Amino acid sequence: MGFPKKIKKDIKLTQDKILYERREELVDFIKEDGTYLPKSILHEDLDLGMLEFVKNELGTVVSGKKIPTVDLIITTQNWAQFAETWNFTDLDENINPPFVATVRNPDVKFGTNPALRYNIPNKKMFYYAKVPTWDGNRKGMDIYKIPQPVPVDITFNVKIFCNRMTELNAFNKTVISKFASRQAYTFIKGHYIPIILENISDESVLDLEKRKYYVQDYTLTMLGFLIDEKEFEVYPAISRILQVVEVVPPKRKRQKFVVPDLRDTDFSFSFLNGLTSLSQKFDFNSDITFNDLINVESYYVYINNEYFAENPPIVFVNNGDVMTVDIRKVNDGEDSQILVTSKLI
Amino acid sequence: MSKRVPINRLSKFFGDKDFNLELEMGQEWLYGDMNFTLVLYQVDQSKTKKSNVYGEVEEDGIVYKTPVEFKGFVKVLEPQNENLGNTKLRNLEPGNIQISVYISELEELGVDIKYGDYIGYYETESRVRYYTVVNDGKVTSDNKHTYGGVYPFYRTVIASPVKDNEFRGN
Repeated sequence: MGFPKKIKKDIKLTQDKILYERREELVDFIKEDGTYLPKSILHEDLDLGMLEFVKNELGTVVSGKKIPTVDLIITTQNWAQFAETWNFTDLDENINPPFVATVRNPDVKFGTNPALRYNIPNKKMFYYAKVPTWDGNRKGMDIYKIPQPVPVDITFNVKIFCNRMTELNAFNKTVISKFASRQAYTFIKGHYIPIILENISDESVLDLEKRKYYVQDYTLTMLGFLIDEKEFEVYPAISRILQVVEVVPPKRKRQKFVVPDLRDTDFSFSFLNGLTSLSQKFDFNSDITFNDLINVESYYVYINNEYFAENPPIVFVNNGDVMTVDIRKVNDGEDSQILVTSKLI
Repeated sequence: MSKRVPINRLSKFFGDKDFNLELEMGQEWLYGDMNFTLVLYQVDQSKTKKSNVYGEVEEDGIVYKTPVEFKGFVKVLEPQNENLGNTKLRNLEPGNIQISVYISELEELGVDIKYGDYIGYYETESRVRYYTVVNDGKVTSDNKHTYGGVYPFYRTVIASPVKDNEFRGN
Protein backbone atom coordinates (compact mmCIF):
# COMPACT_ATOMS: atom_id res chain seq x y z
CA MET A 1 0.00 0.00 0.00
CA GLY A 2 1.37 3.37 -0.91
CA PHE A 3 2.03 6.15 1.54
CA PRO A 4 -0.41 9.05 1.70
CA LYS A 5 0.86 11.90 -0.42
CA LYS A 6 1.54 14.18 2.54
CA ILE A 7 4.10 11.83 4.05
CA LYS A 8 7.54 12.57 2.70
CA LYS A 9 9.82 9.58 2.61
CA ASP A 10 12.94 11.68 2.24
CA ILE A 11 13.73 15.33 2.63
CA LYS A 12 16.24 17.12 0.48
CA LEU A 13 18.74 18.96 2.61
CA THR A 14 19.87 21.13 -0.28
CA GLN A 15 17.61 22.69 -2.83
CA ASP A 16 18.15 22.04 -6.50
CA LYS A 17 19.65 24.97 -8.32
CA ILE A 18 17.51 26.80 -10.81
CA LEU A 19 17.86 29.43 -13.55
CA TYR A 20 21.26 31.10 -13.80
CA GLU A 21 22.80 29.00 -11.02
CA ARG A 22 21.63 25.84 -12.75
CA ARG A 23 23.24 26.97 -15.99
CA GLU A 24 26.47 27.62 -14.15
CA GLU A 25 26.22 24.20 -12.64
CA LEU A 26 25.85 22.67 -16.09
CA VAL A 27 28.92 24.51 -17.32
CA ASP A 28 30.79 23.10 -14.34
CA PHE A 29 29.69 19.63 -15.38
CA ILE A 30 30.96 20.25 -18.88
CA LYS A 31 34.33 21.46 -17.63
CA GLU A 32 34.62 18.95 -14.79
CA ASP A 33 37.99 17.23 -14.47
CA GLY A 34 39.29 18.88 -17.54
CA THR A 35 40.38 22.03 -19.17
CA TYR A 36 38.33 25.10 -19.74
CA LEU A 37 37.08 23.49 -22.92
CA PRO A 38 34.17 21.09 -23.16
CA LYS A 39 35.15 17.48 -23.46
CA SER A 40 34.75 15.49 -26.64
CA ILE A 41 31.47 13.79 -27.27
CA LEU A 42 31.95 11.10 -29.85
CA HIS A 43 30.02 8.01 -30.88
CA GLU A 44 31.35 5.98 -28.00
CA ASP A 45 30.22 8.54 -25.46
CA LEU A 46 26.75 8.67 -26.99
CA ASP A 47 26.55 4.87 -26.92
CA LEU A 48 27.61 4.84 -23.30
CA GLY A 49 24.99 7.47 -22.56
CA MET A 50 22.33 5.25 -24.07
CA LEU A 51 23.50 2.26 -22.06
CA GLU A 52 23.33 4.31 -18.88
CA PHE A 53 19.88 5.49 -19.85
CA VAL A 54 18.63 1.95 -20.45
CA LYS A 55 20.19 0.71 -17.24
CA ASN A 56 19.09 3.52 -14.95
CA GLU A 57 15.92 4.87 -16.49
CA LEU A 58 14.38 1.75 -17.97
CA GLY A 59 15.21 -0.57 -15.09
CA THR A 60 12.25 -2.81 -14.36
CA VAL A 61 11.52 -5.03 -11.40
CA VAL A 62 9.25 -8.04 -11.73
CA SER A 63 8.36 -10.26 -8.77
CA GLY A 64 11.07 -8.60 -6.69
CA LYS A 65 13.83 -9.21 -9.23
CA LYS A 66 15.33 -6.62 -11.47
CA ILE A 67 15.42 -7.55 -15.12
CA PRO A 68 19.16 -7.56 -15.89
CA THR A 69 20.47 -5.27 -18.56
CA VAL A 70 23.30 -6.18 -20.87
CA ASP A 71 25.61 -3.26 -20.18
CA LEU A 72 27.31 -3.46 -23.54
CA ILE A 73 26.33 -2.38 -26.99
CA ILE A 74 25.89 -5.55 -28.94
CA THR A 75 28.23 -5.67 -31.90
CA THR A 76 29.23 -8.44 -34.23
CA GLN A 77 32.35 -9.37 -32.32
CA ASN A 78 31.87 -9.05 -28.64
CA TRP A 79 28.93 -11.31 -27.90
CA ALA A 80 30.91 -14.51 -27.44
CA GLN A 81 33.32 -12.93 -24.98
CA PHE A 82 30.55 -11.15 -23.16
CA ALA A 83 28.34 -14.20 -22.84
CA GLU A 84 31.15 -15.99 -21.01
CA THR A 85 31.29 -13.34 -18.34
CA TRP A 86 27.58 -12.80 -17.99
CA ASN A 87 26.16 -13.95 -14.70
CA PHE A 88 22.84 -15.11 -16.00
CA THR A 89 23.66 -18.00 -18.29
CA ASP A 90 22.31 -21.50 -18.47
CA LEU A 91 24.19 -24.75 -18.70
CA ASP A 92 24.83 -24.12 -22.39
CA GLU A 93 26.24 -20.68 -21.58
CA ASN A 94 23.34 -19.19 -23.40
CA ILE A 95 22.03 -16.05 -21.81
CA ASN A 96 19.00 -16.65 -19.61
CA PRO A 97 15.84 -14.62 -20.03
CA PRO A 98 14.55 -12.22 -18.97
CA PHE A 99 17.08 -9.61 -19.97
CA VAL A 100 17.29 -6.34 -21.84
CA ALA A 101 19.84 -5.74 -24.56
CA THR A 102 20.75 -2.66 -26.53
CA VAL A 103 21.66 -2.93 -30.18
CA ARG A 104 22.99 0.05 -32.09
CA ASN A 105 22.36 0.40 -35.77
CA PRO A 106 25.77 0.79 -37.40
CA ASP A 107 24.63 3.64 -39.64
CA VAL A 108 24.78 7.00 -37.95
CA LYS A 109 22.91 9.61 -39.93
CA PHE A 110 23.18 13.36 -40.06
CA GLY A 111 21.09 14.72 -37.25
CA THR A 112 17.58 16.07 -37.39
CA ASN A 113 17.87 18.09 -34.19
CA PRO A 114 16.49 21.45 -35.35
CA ALA A 115 18.76 23.31 -32.94
CA LEU A 116 21.80 22.17 -34.87
CA ARG A 117 20.55 21.32 -38.32
CA TYR A 118 20.96 24.75 -39.89
CA ASN A 119 24.38 26.25 -39.41
CA ILE A 120 27.08 28.32 -40.97
CA PRO A 121 28.96 26.32 -43.61
CA ASN A 122 32.65 25.33 -43.55
CA LYS A 123 32.66 24.57 -39.84
CA LYS A 124 33.25 28.11 -38.71
CA MET A 125 34.99 28.36 -35.37
CA PHE A 126 33.16 30.16 -32.62
CA TYR A 127 34.49 31.96 -29.59
CA TYR A 128 34.03 29.83 -26.52
CA ALA A 129 36.11 31.29 -23.71
CA LYS A 130 38.89 33.66 -22.78
CA VAL A 131 41.30 32.05 -20.37
CA PRO A 132 43.90 34.00 -18.38
CA THR A 133 47.54 32.90 -18.69
CA TRP A 134 50.73 33.72 -16.87
CA ASP A 135 54.11 32.94 -18.39
CA GLY A 136 56.12 33.98 -15.35
CA ASN A 137 56.61 37.54 -16.51
CA ARG A 138 53.41 38.88 -17.81
CA LYS A 139 49.72 38.15 -17.79
CA GLY A 140 47.93 37.30 -20.97
CA MET A 141 44.85 35.64 -22.35
CA ASP A 142 44.21 32.60 -24.48
CA ILE A 143 41.24 32.57 -26.80
CA TYR A 144 39.45 29.22 -27.01
CA LYS A 145 37.41 28.57 -30.12
CA ILE A 146 35.32 25.54 -30.98
CA PRO A 147 33.35 24.57 -34.07
CA GLN A 148 29.62 24.14 -33.97
CA PRO A 149 28.78 20.58 -32.88
CA VAL A 150 27.72 18.23 -35.66
CA PRO A 151 24.25 16.76 -35.17
CA VAL A 152 23.85 13.00 -35.48
CA ASP A 153 20.90 10.67 -35.22
CA ILE A 154 21.73 7.29 -33.78
CA THR A 155 19.12 4.57 -33.81
CA PHE A 156 19.14 2.05 -31.01
CA ASN A 157 17.02 -1.04 -30.61
CA VAL A 158 16.35 -1.81 -27.01
CA LYS A 159 15.08 -5.35 -26.85
CA ILE A 160 13.59 -7.29 -24.02
CA PHE A 161 13.84 -11.06 -24.09
CA CYS A 162 11.56 -12.89 -21.75
CA ASN A 163 9.17 -15.77 -21.58
CA ARG A 164 6.39 -14.25 -19.54
CA MET A 165 3.81 -11.68 -20.53
CA THR A 166 4.03 -10.08 -17.08
CA GLU A 167 7.68 -9.20 -17.69
CA LEU A 168 6.78 -7.80 -21.08
CA ASN A 169 4.01 -5.70 -19.55
CA ALA A 170 6.22 -4.35 -16.79
CA PHE A 171 8.97 -3.27 -19.18
CA ASN A 172 6.46 -1.80 -21.60
CA LYS A 173 4.93 0.25 -18.80
CA THR A 174 8.35 1.57 -17.80
CA VAL A 175 9.23 2.59 -21.35
CA ILE A 176 5.86 4.09 -22.19
CA SER A 177 5.84 6.07 -18.96
CA LYS A 178 9.34 7.34 -19.56
CA PHE A 179 8.43 8.49 -23.06
CA ALA A 180 5.00 9.82 -22.18
CA SER A 181 6.19 13.23 -23.33
CA ARG A 182 7.58 11.73 -26.56
CA GLN A 183 11.17 12.23 -25.54
CA ALA A 184 13.43 11.54 -22.62
CA TYR A 185 16.94 12.73 -21.89
CA THR A 186 20.23 11.16 -21.06
CA PHE A 187 23.03 13.11 -19.44
CA ILE A 188 26.36 12.90 -21.23
CA LYS A 189 29.31 14.93 -19.96
CA GLY A 190 27.11 17.76 -18.83
CA HIS A 191 24.87 17.81 -21.88
CA TYR A 192 21.27 16.71 -21.97
CA ILE A 193 20.80 14.59 -25.09
CA PRO A 194 17.22 13.93 -26.19
CA ILE A 195 16.02 10.45 -27.04
CA ILE A 196 12.82 9.82 -28.97
CA LEU A 197 10.77 6.65 -28.94
CA GLU A 198 10.17 5.90 -32.60
CA ASN A 199 8.51 2.52 -32.70
CA ILE A 200 7.61 -0.60 -30.79
CA SER A 201 7.54 -3.91 -32.59
CA ASP A 202 7.30 -7.55 -31.70
CA GLU A 203 9.75 -10.23 -32.77
CA SER A 204 8.59 -12.99 -30.51
CA VAL A 205 9.46 -16.56 -31.38
CA LEU A 206 6.26 -18.49 -30.96
CA ASP A 207 6.83 -21.53 -33.16
CA LEU A 208 4.88 -24.52 -31.97
CA GLU A 209 7.76 -26.95 -31.75
CA LYS A 210 10.45 -24.59 -30.50
CA ARG A 211 11.26 -22.87 -27.28
CA LYS A 212 8.88 -19.95 -27.10
CA TYR A 213 10.00 -16.56 -25.92
CA TYR A 214 8.97 -12.98 -26.33
CA VAL A 215 11.18 -10.40 -27.97
CA GLN A 216 9.92 -6.87 -28.03
CA ASP A 217 11.86 -4.20 -29.82
CA TYR A 218 11.80 -0.53 -28.84
CA THR A 219 13.34 1.67 -31.49
CA LEU A 220 14.88 4.74 -29.92
CA THR A 221 16.54 7.57 -31.78
CA MET A 222 19.13 9.63 -29.99
CA LEU A 223 19.37 13.19 -31.26
CA GLY A 224 22.99 13.62 -30.36
CA PHE A 225 25.85 15.72 -31.55
CA LEU A 226 29.54 15.27 -32.00
CA ILE A 227 32.19 17.49 -30.45
CA ASP A 228 35.78 16.59 -31.16
CA GLU A 229 38.33 18.31 -28.98
CA LYS A 230 40.97 17.81 -31.66
CA GLU A 231 39.16 20.46 -33.65
CA PHE A 232 39.35 23.04 -30.90
CA GLU A 233 41.60 26.03 -31.39
CA VAL A 234 43.56 27.76 -28.66
CA TYR A 235 45.64 30.76 -29.54
CA PRO A 236 47.08 33.60 -27.52
CA ALA A 237 45.18 36.81 -27.41
CA ILE A 238 46.88 40.20 -27.61
CA SER A 239 48.80 40.61 -24.37
CA ARG A 240 50.80 43.79 -25.07
CA ILE A 241 50.87 46.27 -27.94
CA LEU A 242 54.21 47.79 -28.87
CA GLN A 243 53.72 50.78 -31.13
CA VAL A 244 56.81 52.01 -32.94
CA VAL A 245 56.53 55.41 -34.52
CA GLU A 246 59.32 56.76 -36.69
CA VAL A 247 59.53 60.50 -36.58
CA VAL A 248 61.49 62.58 -39.07
CA PRO A 249 62.11 66.03 -37.59
CA PRO A 250 60.94 68.62 -40.12
CA LYS A 251 63.33 71.26 -41.21
CA ARG A 252 60.97 74.22 -40.97
CA LYS A 253 61.75 77.80 -41.28
CA ARG A 254 60.81 79.97 -38.40
CA GLN A 255 57.38 81.38 -38.96
CA LYS A 256 56.99 85.06 -39.33
CA PHE A 257 55.10 86.80 -36.59
CA VAL A 258 51.77 87.76 -37.97
CA VAL A 259 50.20 90.87 -36.60
CA PRO A 260 46.51 90.11 -36.01
CA ASP A 261 44.01 92.05 -37.95
CA LEU A 262 42.29 94.21 -35.43
CA ARG A 263 39.62 95.34 -37.78
CA ASP A 264 36.01 94.81 -36.94
CA THR A 265 34.42 91.71 -38.40
CA ASP A 266 30.75 91.40 -39.17
CA PHE A 267 28.96 88.11 -39.04
CA SER A 268 25.50 86.85 -38.21
CA PHE A 269 23.63 84.21 -36.25
CA SER A 270 21.17 82.72 -38.73
CA PHE A 271 18.26 80.87 -37.15
CA LEU A 272 16.55 78.79 -39.82
CA ASN A 273 12.92 77.83 -39.53
CA GLY A 274 12.48 75.75 -36.36
CA LEU A 275 15.91 76.71 -34.91
CA THR A 276 15.97 78.92 -31.78
CA SER A 277 19.47 78.35 -30.37
CA LEU A 278 23.00 78.66 -31.78
CA SER A 279 26.45 78.42 -30.23
CA GLN A 280 29.76 79.83 -31.33
CA LYS A 281 33.20 79.22 -29.90
CA PHE A 282 35.64 82.12 -29.92
CA ASP A 283 39.37 81.56 -30.19
CA PHE A 284 40.24 85.13 -29.31
CA ASN A 285 39.28 87.93 -26.94
CA SER A 286 36.77 90.27 -28.41
CA ASP A 287 33.78 92.49 -27.91
CA ILE A 288 30.64 91.22 -29.60
CA THR A 289 28.16 93.94 -30.49
CA PHE A 290 24.59 92.98 -31.38
CA ASN A 291 23.49 95.25 -34.21
CA ASP A 292 20.32 94.31 -36.03
CA LEU A 293 17.58 91.84 -35.19
CA ILE A 294 15.51 90.30 -37.99
CA ASN A 295 12.34 88.49 -36.92
CA VAL A 296 13.70 88.35 -33.34
CA GLU A 297 11.59 89.55 -30.47
CA SER A 298 14.24 89.01 -27.79
CA TYR A 299 17.49 87.09 -27.31
CA TYR A 300 19.28 85.54 -24.33
CA VAL A 301 23.02 85.12 -24.11
CA TYR A 302 24.85 82.27 -22.28
CA ILE A 303 28.63 82.15 -21.86
CA ASN A 304 29.98 78.65 -21.34
CA ASN A 305 26.41 77.49 -20.62
CA GLU A 306 25.94 80.04 -17.90
CA TYR A 307 23.25 82.64 -18.27
CA PHE A 308 24.70 86.07 -19.03
CA ALA A 309 21.90 88.54 -19.91
CA GLU A 310 18.75 89.22 -21.89
CA ASN A 311 19.12 91.45 -24.94
CA PRO A 312 22.62 92.72 -24.02
CA PRO A 313 23.88 95.26 -26.57
CA ILE A 314 27.49 94.15 -26.19
CA VAL A 315 29.21 91.04 -24.74
CA PHE A 316 32.88 90.51 -23.97
CA VAL A 317 34.21 87.00 -24.69
CA ASN A 318 37.56 85.46 -23.78
CA ASN A 319 39.66 83.09 -25.81
CA GLY A 320 37.99 79.62 -25.67
CA ASP A 321 34.58 80.84 -24.53
CA VAL A 322 31.45 79.34 -26.07
CA MET A 323 28.65 81.82 -26.52
CA THR A 324 25.12 80.49 -26.88
CA VAL A 325 22.30 82.69 -28.17
CA ASP A 326 18.69 81.62 -27.60
CA ILE A 327 16.00 83.66 -29.32
CA ARG A 328 12.26 84.15 -29.22
CA LYS A 329 10.96 84.68 -32.73
CA VAL A 330 8.36 87.22 -33.75
CA ASN A 331 7.01 84.88 -36.39
CA ASP A 332 7.73 81.25 -35.60
CA GLY A 333 7.21 80.11 -39.18
CA GLU A 334 10.05 82.18 -40.65
CA ASP A 335 13.85 82.33 -40.46
CA SER A 336 15.53 84.78 -38.06
CA GLN A 337 18.89 86.50 -38.06
CA ILE A 338 21.03 88.54 -35.68
CA LEU A 339 23.77 90.65 -37.19
CA VAL A 340 26.76 91.14 -34.91
CA THR A 341 30.15 92.81 -35.05
CA SER A 342 33.25 91.27 -33.47
CA LYS A 343 36.05 93.55 -32.42
CA LEU A 344 39.35 91.93 -31.44
CA ILE A 345 40.92 93.25 -28.29
CA MET B 1 -18.72 -51.02 -19.65
CA SER B 2 -17.90 -49.55 -22.98
CA LYS B 3 -18.63 -51.39 -26.15
CA ARG B 4 -15.69 -53.43 -27.44
CA VAL B 5 -15.26 -54.47 -31.03
CA PRO B 6 -12.82 -57.24 -32.01
CA ILE B 7 -10.00 -56.17 -34.30
CA ASN B 8 -9.35 -58.68 -37.00
CA ARG B 9 -7.18 -56.62 -39.29
CA LEU B 10 -4.42 -58.66 -40.91
CA SER B 11 -5.38 -61.56 -38.65
CA LYS B 12 -4.72 -64.03 -41.38
CA PHE B 13 -1.03 -63.12 -41.44
CA PHE B 14 -0.42 -61.16 -38.23
CA GLY B 15 -2.48 -62.16 -35.24
CA ASP B 16 -2.40 -61.14 -31.57
CA LYS B 17 0.36 -63.58 -30.78
CA ASP B 18 2.57 -62.17 -33.50
CA PHE B 19 1.80 -58.66 -32.40
CA ASN B 20 2.61 -59.39 -28.78
CA LEU B 21 5.79 -61.21 -29.77
CA GLU B 22 6.98 -58.27 -31.77
CA LEU B 23 6.08 -55.98 -28.90
CA GLU B 24 8.03 -58.06 -26.40
CA MET B 25 11.02 -58.21 -28.69
CA GLY B 26 10.91 -54.47 -29.10
CA GLN B 27 10.62 -53.90 -25.38
CA GLU B 28 13.50 -56.26 -24.75
CA TRP B 29 15.60 -54.24 -27.17
CA LEU B 30 14.49 -50.92 -25.74
CA TYR B 31 14.73 -51.77 -22.04
CA GLY B 32 17.60 -54.23 -22.24
CA ASP B 33 19.83 -52.92 -24.98
CA MET B 34 19.00 -49.23 -25.34
CA ASN B 35 17.95 -48.47 -21.77
CA PHE B 36 17.23 -44.77 -22.23
CA THR B 37 15.80 -43.49 -18.98
CA LEU B 38 13.82 -40.30 -18.67
CA VAL B 39 11.96 -38.60 -15.85
CA LEU B 40 8.44 -37.35 -16.36
CA TYR B 41 7.28 -34.34 -14.35
CA GLN B 42 3.50 -34.13 -14.65
CA VAL B 43 2.30 -30.65 -13.89
CA ASP B 44 -0.24 -30.60 -11.10
CA GLN B 45 -2.70 -28.13 -12.55
CA SER B 46 -4.74 -27.91 -9.38
CA LYS B 47 -1.79 -26.98 -7.13
CA THR B 48 0.19 -24.78 -9.47
CA LYS B 49 -0.47 -21.13 -8.81
CA LYS B 50 -1.10 -19.42 -12.08
CA SER B 51 -1.83 -15.91 -13.23
CA ASN B 52 -5.57 -15.48 -13.68
CA VAL B 53 -5.11 -13.52 -16.89
CA TYR B 54 -2.20 -15.12 -18.66
CA GLY B 55 -2.04 -18.50 -16.96
CA GLU B 56 1.66 -17.88 -16.37
CA VAL B 57 3.60 -19.27 -13.47
CA GLU B 58 6.35 -17.46 -11.61
CA GLU B 59 9.85 -18.81 -11.43
CA ASP B 60 9.99 -22.10 -9.54
CA GLY B 61 6.24 -21.89 -9.18
CA ILE B 62 5.34 -25.08 -11.06
CA VAL B 63 4.03 -27.80 -8.81
CA TYR B 64 4.35 -31.29 -10.23
CA LYS B 65 3.25 -34.72 -9.20
CA THR B 66 5.76 -37.29 -8.07
CA PRO B 67 8.34 -37.63 -10.85
CA VAL B 68 8.17 -40.94 -12.69
CA GLU B 69 11.02 -42.68 -14.49
CA PHE B 70 10.17 -44.22 -17.80
CA LYS B 71 11.96 -45.76 -20.72
CA GLY B 72 11.77 -44.61 -24.26
CA PHE B 73 13.77 -44.38 -27.43
CA VAL B 74 15.41 -41.01 -27.44
CA LYS B 75 16.52 -38.98 -30.37
CA VAL B 76 17.95 -35.56 -29.59
CA LEU B 77 18.01 -33.24 -32.54
CA GLU B 78 21.03 -31.12 -33.41
CA PRO B 79 21.45 -27.77 -31.70
CA GLN B 80 20.88 -24.73 -33.85
CA ASN B 81 23.36 -21.88 -33.84
CA GLU B 82 21.11 -18.92 -34.41
CA ASN B 83 20.38 -15.38 -33.46
CA LEU B 84 17.91 -14.63 -30.75
CA GLY B 85 14.89 -13.40 -32.63
CA ASN B 86 15.85 -10.72 -35.11
CA THR B 87 19.01 -9.67 -33.29
CA LYS B 88 22.72 -10.19 -33.35
CA LEU B 89 22.62 -12.03 -30.05
CA ARG B 90 24.00 -15.43 -30.80
CA ASN B 91 22.31 -18.34 -29.13
CA LEU B 92 23.14 -22.02 -29.43
CA GLU B 93 19.67 -23.41 -29.09
CA PRO B 94 19.58 -27.06 -28.00
CA GLY B 95 17.59 -29.30 -30.29
CA ASN B 96 14.26 -30.84 -29.46
CA ILE B 97 14.04 -34.29 -28.00
CA GLN B 98 11.95 -36.92 -29.71
CA ILE B 99 10.86 -39.77 -27.47
CA SER B 100 9.23 -42.94 -28.66
CA VAL B 101 7.51 -44.62 -25.74
CA TYR B 102 5.44 -47.75 -25.55
CA ILE B 103 1.85 -47.09 -24.65
CA SER B 104 1.91 -50.19 -22.48
CA GLU B 105 4.81 -48.70 -20.50
CA LEU B 106 2.79 -45.62 -19.67
CA GLU B 107 -0.23 -47.73 -18.78
CA GLU B 108 1.84 -49.90 -16.46
CA LEU B 109 3.26 -46.83 -14.73
CA GLY B 110 -0.19 -45.24 -14.54
CA VAL B 111 0.95 -41.96 -16.07
CA ASP B 112 0.14 -39.97 -19.13
CA ILE B 113 2.40 -37.55 -20.98
CA LYS B 114 0.46 -34.37 -21.64
CA TYR B 115 1.13 -31.21 -23.54
CA GLY B 116 2.99 -28.86 -21.18
CA ASP B 117 4.44 -31.56 -18.94
CA TYR B 118 8.17 -31.57 -18.36
CA ILE B 119 10.67 -34.29 -19.07
CA GLY B 120 14.15 -34.50 -17.61
CA TYR B 121 16.87 -36.26 -19.53
CA TYR B 122 20.24 -36.86 -17.95
CA GLU B 123 22.90 -36.12 -20.50
CA THR B 124 25.66 -36.97 -18.02
CA GLU B 125 25.61 -38.14 -14.42
CA SER B 126 25.41 -34.58 -13.18
CA ARG B 127 23.84 -32.69 -16.02
CA VAL B 128 20.17 -32.88 -16.70
CA ARG B 129 18.31 -31.01 -19.38
CA TYR B 130 14.65 -30.30 -19.05
CA TYR B 131 12.19 -30.25 -21.88
CA THR B 132 8.59 -29.27 -22.14
CA VAL B 133 6.23 -31.41 -24.15
CA VAL B 134 5.16 -29.58 -27.30
CA ASN B 135 3.65 -32.60 -29.02
CA ASP B 136 2.32 -35.34 -26.77
CA GLY B 137 1.79 -37.73 -29.67
CA LYS B 138 -1.63 -38.80 -28.50
CA VAL B 139 -2.87 -39.28 -32.03
CA THR B 140 -1.54 -42.69 -32.95
CA SER B 141 -3.81 -43.57 -35.86
CA ASP B 142 -1.15 -43.62 -38.52
CA ASN B 143 0.40 -46.80 -39.86
CA LYS B 144 3.74 -46.13 -38.25
CA HIS B 145 2.28 -46.12 -34.76
CA THR B 146 -0.09 -49.02 -35.33
CA TYR B 147 2.28 -51.61 -36.68
CA GLY B 148 0.85 -51.71 -40.15
CA GLY B 149 -2.58 -50.69 -38.98
CA VAL B 150 -3.21 -53.38 -36.36
CA TYR B 151 -3.00 -51.71 -32.93
CA PRO B 152 -1.46 -48.44 -31.79
CA PHE B 153 1.43 -49.46 -29.60
CA TYR B 154 3.72 -46.48 -29.11
CA ARG B 155 3.65 -42.72 -29.03
CA THR B 156 6.12 -40.23 -30.37
CA VAL B 157 6.51 -37.34 -28.00
CA ILE B 158 8.35 -34.19 -29.00
CA ALA B 159 9.62 -31.82 -26.35
CA SER B 160 11.47 -28.53 -26.57
CA PRO B 161 14.20 -27.46 -24.16
CA VAL B 162 13.28 -24.97 -21.46
CA LYS B 163 15.29 -22.35 -19.64
CA ASP B 164 16.03 -22.49 -15.94
CA ASN B 165 13.64 -19.71 -15.12
CA GLU B 166 10.75 -21.75 -16.47
CA PHE B 167 11.52 -25.15 -15.01
CA ARG B 168 14.53 -26.71 -13.33
CA GLY B 169 13.11 -29.70 -11.45
CA ASN B 170 13.05 -27.93 -8.08
